Amino acid sequence: MPELPQKKVGIIACSGEEIPEGLVSRLAALKVLEKQRPGDTVTICLPLFLAGGEGDRAFAKFYPTIAIDGCEKRCAYRGTEKYSNTPAASIVITDLIKENGLEAPKGLRRLNEAGQQAVDLAAAQIAEQVDKLLGKKWSRKDGQFNEPEPQEEVVATCSCGSGIPIQKLQVNGSEMTLVALPLIFEKFRAENKMPGEDVTREMMEMVKVYNFIKSSQEEELLSAVGKEYERYCEKQEDKA
Amino acid sequence: MPEFLETTVDKFTFKVATDRYYSEQGIWALKAGKVIRIGLSDYLQQRSGDIAFADVQPAGTQLEVDGAVAEIETIKVDTTVASPVSGSIVTINPKMELEPEVINQDPYGEGWLCEIEPANWEADLEKLLEPKAYFIVMKAEAEEEAKNL
Amino acid sequence: MTGPKKVLIVPCSGIGKSYGTVSREAAYQVVEDDRPGQTRIVPLALLVMDDEETRQLLKENQAITIDGCKLACATKMVAESGGEVAKDFAVLDVFRRNRDFKPSGIAELNEGGKKLADALAKEIDAEVDNLIQKGGQDA
Repeated sequence: MPELPQKKVGIIACSGEEIPEGLVSRLAALKVLEKQRPGDTVTICLPLFLAGGEGDRAFAKFYPTIAIDGCEKRCAYRGTEKYSNTPAASIVITDLIKENGLEAPKGLRRLNEAGQQAVDLAAAQIAEQVDKLLGKKWSRKDGQFNEPEPQEEVVATCSCGSGIPIQKLQVNGSEMTLVALPLIFEKFRAENKMPGEDVTREMMEMVKVYNFIKSSQEEELLSAVGKEYERYCEKQEDKA
Repeated sequence: MPEFLETTVDKFTFKVATDRYYSEQGIWALKAGKVIRIGLSDYLQQRSGDIAFADVQPAGTQLEVDGAVAEIETIKVDTTVASPVSGSIVTINPKMELEPEVINQDPYGEGWLCEIEPANWEADLEKLLEPKAYFIVMKAEAEEEAKNL
Repeated sequence: MTGPKKVLIVPCSGIGKSYGTVSREAAYQVVEDDRPGQTRIVPLALLVMDDEETRQLLKENQAITIDGCKLACATKMVAESGGEVAKDFAVLDVFRRNRDFKPSGIAELNEGGKKLADALAKEIDAEVDNLIQKGGQDA
């Protein structure tokens, strides 16, 4: 049975216990992990990269991560880059405070008001980064996630060395490359989901997790994916 | 050393030993001579968290299937472990009193809970899951939990 | 030499469970309240990055580690950085000795967690006193 991961963002906080900004990094990370984006994020423990946390190291290699550092030493960012993979985004609390004209936070166990402000601001930025990395944009006007912003189409290769296979499809005369499509087909087939409109729509939800799809392309892609899956199932029948 | 089925959800890898049977709760049952040894599956121990206390019923306790065989306490959960088989407890793993963390470290080996003299093993076996069947149940549960955080 | 000798306290830095918070709370109580001047916190992140000043600190002073889970990052990291682990505490073991103090909460500990941190801090204080007495270290 193929392993098909649900896309999530890893959060790595420096947790530097000697400075208040370290506490800010921790509390901001927790705010995002527990309240703002609980289903979309996972905490990654920096020391575990060296202390035997294979799961943490593999996750950070395979999924996008956000490093939250208290100070310019940037232990979370540099540690992740050194022992796993370059984080997709980075926030440094001392820079954040300077850029926003906040007062320096005080307190190693309990933050003062300035520290709480820094936590709220950092958490908001982290949540925004999570949404960007997952391809979502929040509309305050509509009170829901918008269509993802148009992004440059990139060649969908396994850039992190994760080994996720890709497949090219002809969609309305153009070639489109879809990440993880072979694995998605394998998973659906293994679950005895036979070709059909409902199954294809369900499949498309999974395709959209790994690929940016413009709404204008969706219906045509739906048709192309459906036909390709039908061909795939026929081949599997022949092999059996 | 048994072989394992494996799956990874987020940063966690869960293993299912292929040499034993499982209840839907995730308690494994392994025939060891005349007794049935039981313990927690890898998924169940990971989901429960670091085990602080494992209070197993005393030797001689008569159990029905799904009867309470042990109480597991972690900082996340207090779980009653339901027996996958009927019978009488004959041996409690001596590590349960002072080293219950062995359940987390080696759930399919040193971390066994107790041994039960079965009352009707053949009948109880019919209600248990083969490793592949438990793997599917466990995987679905793990993925659902990861989605619903 | 990086200043007068102190006992280094190296707490777990994990934010996935209450035990990490208990570990840090206990460390702060020791370093800020109970044994100020005789102890100093060392963040694990600096050990991961092989910070030179931190390495030097570990060479010159003994360390007490506080581990939040069975992976024991604090103890392993200090040992791998060439430091001496004079004593390692596992929060889980302290909880076993204080079953009524069940911790919960990560950003903010519950009452049980605060009491557990206090119990752990007192055990660490005793060990700090022991080390200082043995080593005749300056405050």
